[in-house]
Amino acid sequence: MIRGAPVIATLAVALTGCATSPPLADGLPASAPRTIELDSTPYFPQDDYQCGPAALATLLVASGVDVAPASLAPEVYLPERRGSLSLELVGAARRHSRLPYVLANTADEMVEELEAGRPVLVLQNLAASRMPRWHYAVLVGYDADRNVAVLRSGGERRLEMKWQRFAGTWHRGGRFAMTVLRPREVPEHAEPARFIAAAAGLEAAGQRRAAAEAYDAAIARWPDEADAWLGRGNVAYADGDRAAAAGAWSRAIMLNPTSAAARNNLAELLLEAGCLEESRRQVERAAALAQGTALEPAVSEGRSRIAATARAAARCELEDRAWPD
Amino acid sequence: MSMNGFRRACVAVLSASLISLGMQAPAAAGVVGTAEAIASQDRNARAVVDATLARADVRAELERMGVDAAAIEGRLDALSEAEVATLAGQIGEAPAGGDALAVIGIVFVVLVILELVGVIDIFKKT
Repeated sequence: MIRGAPVIATLAVALTGCATSPPLADGLPASAPRTIELDSTPYFPQDDYQCGPAALATLLVASGVDVAPASLAPEVYLPERRGSLSLELVGAARRHSRLPYVLANTADEMVEELEAGRPVLVLQNLAASRMPRWHYAVLVGYDADRNVAVLRSGGERRLEMKWQRFAGTWHRGGRFAMTVLRPREVPEHAEPARFIAAAAGLEAAGQRRAAAEAYDAAIARWPDEADAWLGRGNVAYADGDRAAAAGAWSRAIMLNPTSAAARNNLAELLLEAGCLEESRRQVERAAALAQGTALEPAVSEGRSRIAATARAAARCELEDRAWPD
Repeated sequence: MSMNGFRRACVAVLSASLISLGMQAPAAAGVVGTAEAIASQDRNARAVVDATLARADVRAELERMGVDAAAIEGRLDALSEAEVATLAGQIGEAPAGGDALAVIGIVFVVLVILELVGVIDIFKKT
């Protein structure tokens, strides 16, 4: 009757990529509660293949954004793939003025985010590594005593999944997990580089107000992070506040004298202000620093532009005439 | 107009246009975005990809994937240059979270096949 058992076992290992996770209680930090459940997290039953919009809407509504999955679908859904890419969920969160924060690839940060009251969007691979079945769900809690994860998932408002099974699907899904932060929210466990990069994403998406608030929060928490000042200056400059931009970029350069970006940007501002000599000095240093990096083309373009303007300004307007000895 | 006067006018117009360009579109003209600055610090980053090229590539891929043309620019605008470069060439393969329900079907089919070829006998009543 069980002659097929070894085959099934082999098959199971092959299918799951033999991911074995410990029970939740083994990995749970001593300080973490035994049980958390964010009951008030909204639930949106997914339409066909639309777990991306549904899961993202769950996070956004939980963070105070008024949005429905149907209006998120055009922002994230890929009809031919019958699914959504995680990077596009990140982009869509920005479009709603929230800071998408991608978590580290350990479960610890998930627990900490739940403790902070934020549900966690996770990418699961429900099938095999080689035959994937990708799915987004929202982790809203866990129970260490009963060893379960609690999810909003697909057609189920409250899905309990054995922790090892949940951790396995998440592991096979590439360990992608994210939360969305309100303006000025900085997670307790946040690393400066990762948080500032997330704020830079808001800036890149043109969400200036949200980006400014995120940079302000980053500066309040880590006043010596040069990139936070660089970003604050960029947003101030885009808002037309040159004095604030000059101050922030100068601070960024003081904290990190090798910041080619901050020197380049300050040089642009100085050029506009007519301070050509100082503009040239900064852009020359920026060009030297940017050599061999991805910034080289942008900085050398600015450098030649600034040099041309300086030449034009310094040019003698009557240079072709002959003058008496 | 003398030659000098013409040259002076040209320089003035050019300088004015460059400066006003800088004020109208600060992010585009000269100023380096924070995301690009951070990406450039990553020594492991892939060789510099032309941002315009990557964007065109992703735009075409999104269209091929059935995304409404009117929505494409907005989706691209929500991403940094580095993120767009990451997506380029990946849209067909990167994990796309979709449906949970079809899984049961696949497992069932695998089990039925194994049953039919006689490897397992979980459906037999002994």
